[in-house]
Amino acid sequence: MAMKRRTTILVVLGLAAAFLVALWKPTVLIYGVQQAGLYAAIAIPMGLVLGIVHIVNLAHGEFMMVAAYATYFACRATGLDPLLAVLPSAAVTALLGWVVYKLTIRRALKAPELNQLILTFGIGILLSQGVNLLFTSQTRKISLEYVSASMTIGELSFGVWPFVFVIVATAMAVGLKLFLTRTTTGKAALAVGQNPRGAAIVGIDVDRTYGLVFALAMALVGGMGALFLTRSAIFPGVGGPFTMKSFCLVAMAGIGNIPGILGASLLLGLSESFLRAFRELRGWADIIFFVLIIVVILGRSLKGRKS
Amino acid sequence: MKRTFAILVIAMLATGAFAQTGDTIKIGGIWTLADITGKQGSMAAQQAIEEINKAGGVLGRKLELIVVDDEGKADKGAAAVEKLMTVDNVELLMGGMASGVELGKIPTFKKYGKVVVSTGAASYKVEEALGADSSWYFHLHPWDYNQGASYVEGWDAIQKQYPKIKIKKIFLAYEEGAFGKSSWDATKTLFGTGGRYVVDGASFKSAALGGGDYASVLEAAKSFKPDLFLWAGYDADALPMLEQAKAMKFSPSIYLGAPPGWPIGFGTSKLSEKVMLYGMWAPTMNDTNAASKAFYKGFVAKYKEEPATYFAPLSYSAVYIIADAIKLAGTTETAALIKALEATKYASPLGETISFSKSNIIAHQGIRRQKILQWQSGRQEVIWPFEAKTATPVYPFPAWK
Repeated sequence: MAMKRRTTILVVLGLAAAFLVALWKPTVLIYGVQQAGLYAAIAIPMGLVLGIVHIVNLAHGEFMMVAAYATYFACRATGLDPLLAVLPSAAVTALLGWVVYKLTIRRALKAPELNQLILTFGIGILLSQGVNLLFTSQTRKISLEYVSASMTIGELSFGVWPFVFVIVATAMAVGLKLFLTRTTTGKAALAVGQNPRGAAIVGIDVDRTYGLVFALAMALVGGMGALFLTRSAIFPGVGGPFTMKSFCLVAMAGIGNIPGILGASLLLGLSESFLRAFRELRGWADIIFFVLIIVVILGRSLKGRKS
Repeated sequence: MKRTFAILVIAMLATGAFAQTGDTIKIGGIWTLADITGKQGSMAAQQAIEEINKAGGVLGRKLELIVVDDEGKADKGAAAVEKLMTVDNVELLMGGMASGVELGKIPTFKKYGKVVVSTGAASYKVEEALGADSSWYFHLHPWDYNQGASYVEGWDAIQKQYPKIKIKKIFLAYEEGAFGKSSWDATKTLFGTGGRYVVDGASFKSAALGGGDYASVLEAAKSFKPDLFLWAGYDADALPMLEQAKAMKFSPSIYLGAPPGWPIGFGTSKLSEKVMLYGMWAPTMNDTNAASKAFYKGFVAKYKEEPATYFAPLSYSAVYIIADAIKLAGTTETAALIKALEATKYASPLGETISFSKSNIIAHQGIRRQKILQWQSGRQEVIWPFEAKTATPVYPFPAWK
């Protein structure tokens, strides 16, 4: 009850702050929400893997980069729009994820965490260096008319395309919630995530479930790779910074808390956008990320000690 | 015993004489091979080496390029110099791009004191680290302050030549790293002093470094209402920034980008039309410059791809400058080579005759000017300097529809 009341107070305070910011400088709110959508849409699949397979996938951003490259070349060859490539890209990356899981990840699941980190870090390097060798480091981008779609309110003109990431992130969070609570496979995945040994005793194929979840997460990342191509230029190192940001957002939200990733992303996106509104503070936008994660984790550990 | 010793001495001398005349002249090249500038820079250097060898080599010897990857890291750069000097025994060094890597190499350069023909490193900090006594260092690329001064000169000349082009307010969007910040410092100093121009600027995090959101910097630029909007970032920023500018309906009279390279296919985007840029070379110069055409044709024939940045013709030029100097010196001995390099007059594919003279600190600075170009119908056209001009500027940058 007290927890619910505290959450309500926090939400009301957050909404009031957002309202005040919108009155002061609406673009802070607009760009903050747009950025938050992008962060969340990339971080949610990592949250799924960490919550159920219990592995930190340090090749997360690199999988997205590979999907973006695959989409780029498919679109260049066929004239296809990257939006139409979202599903094929997701399917290809799911398959890649399944193969990577079977060949490598599953063998490291019982290994110390450091070994798992080194393994996925190595996979990430392999993917980025492989792409670098094959296609060089030169950046690539598909120029699309609709990404410049804009809305004008009075004097204010802003792009509306980035809102697609907000929609995608919300759809991912809702979809995963439904999948994990309403489907047999999803419930099995939740059970495996909570207690793999218990799940195995009741007859759930733990290894298969891990593989499926990993492939599903990679499918989501793959779809995001195609979508990411609409917004950004791609190059072999484009995924790396998103791996770190996703990991920190997942850590802020708490392991397995997918809706929490939305909240953490919103907090980060708005904070960055707020700081960027002041020229003198612009350089602090990157640091706020670390400040937030320290505050949240410190707060959580203090709360844990108290309880 | 004496006889055996005499035979041995004669044999050793004979081997030495053979080495002097029969072996190759080894040139060590250091580039960041994962980067397109380094990759194509090394390819263009190899192209020049093969052309020179095909024409008979230098002093009856073939040239040999030994390439080492610095991986874009200062420590690897220093290790590359060490390896080339001690393991490969190269006669002289060339290459380079990032200033940070060059800074790492300088102590090892100084240790060996061999001739270095540098194709990159624009930061004045490199020049400060070299010091005035680095007579063995020949810097081809303009220093950052040379570039800034040439832009002021260029815009002054353009406004004089085309009176409808009027620039008073300049806004610089610069990436948060060293490259962007030094561009901002130079722009403030060069354009801001004297009151002829009003300069403002704001930073952004480049997509190349994990950023890619330009909304706040474009918003600041839009509210400043500049006549010239300039961004100093990387190729990854080029199209997304234009797309965002269009979404925000930000269309200054001049939209200018200054990345080291452009993304593949940038010219095919409708948004690129009338965007201006700074650079040293473009394939359109093949129409007006025979050396450029010869370089370009050779590169495309050999590698089946286009040179994407000016670092390719720059590295190509560096090899020819070295070869000419060795010919003139008649040896690869450092003092003689320095003297010969000082006499360089090389008509380069970059559209200018390269020679070396003193810059702020070092004694041997090559190119001092960048060019002002404009994307027109998918091609980079040179609009200044007028002697290298391939097209007249289209002004103003069209308002977004």
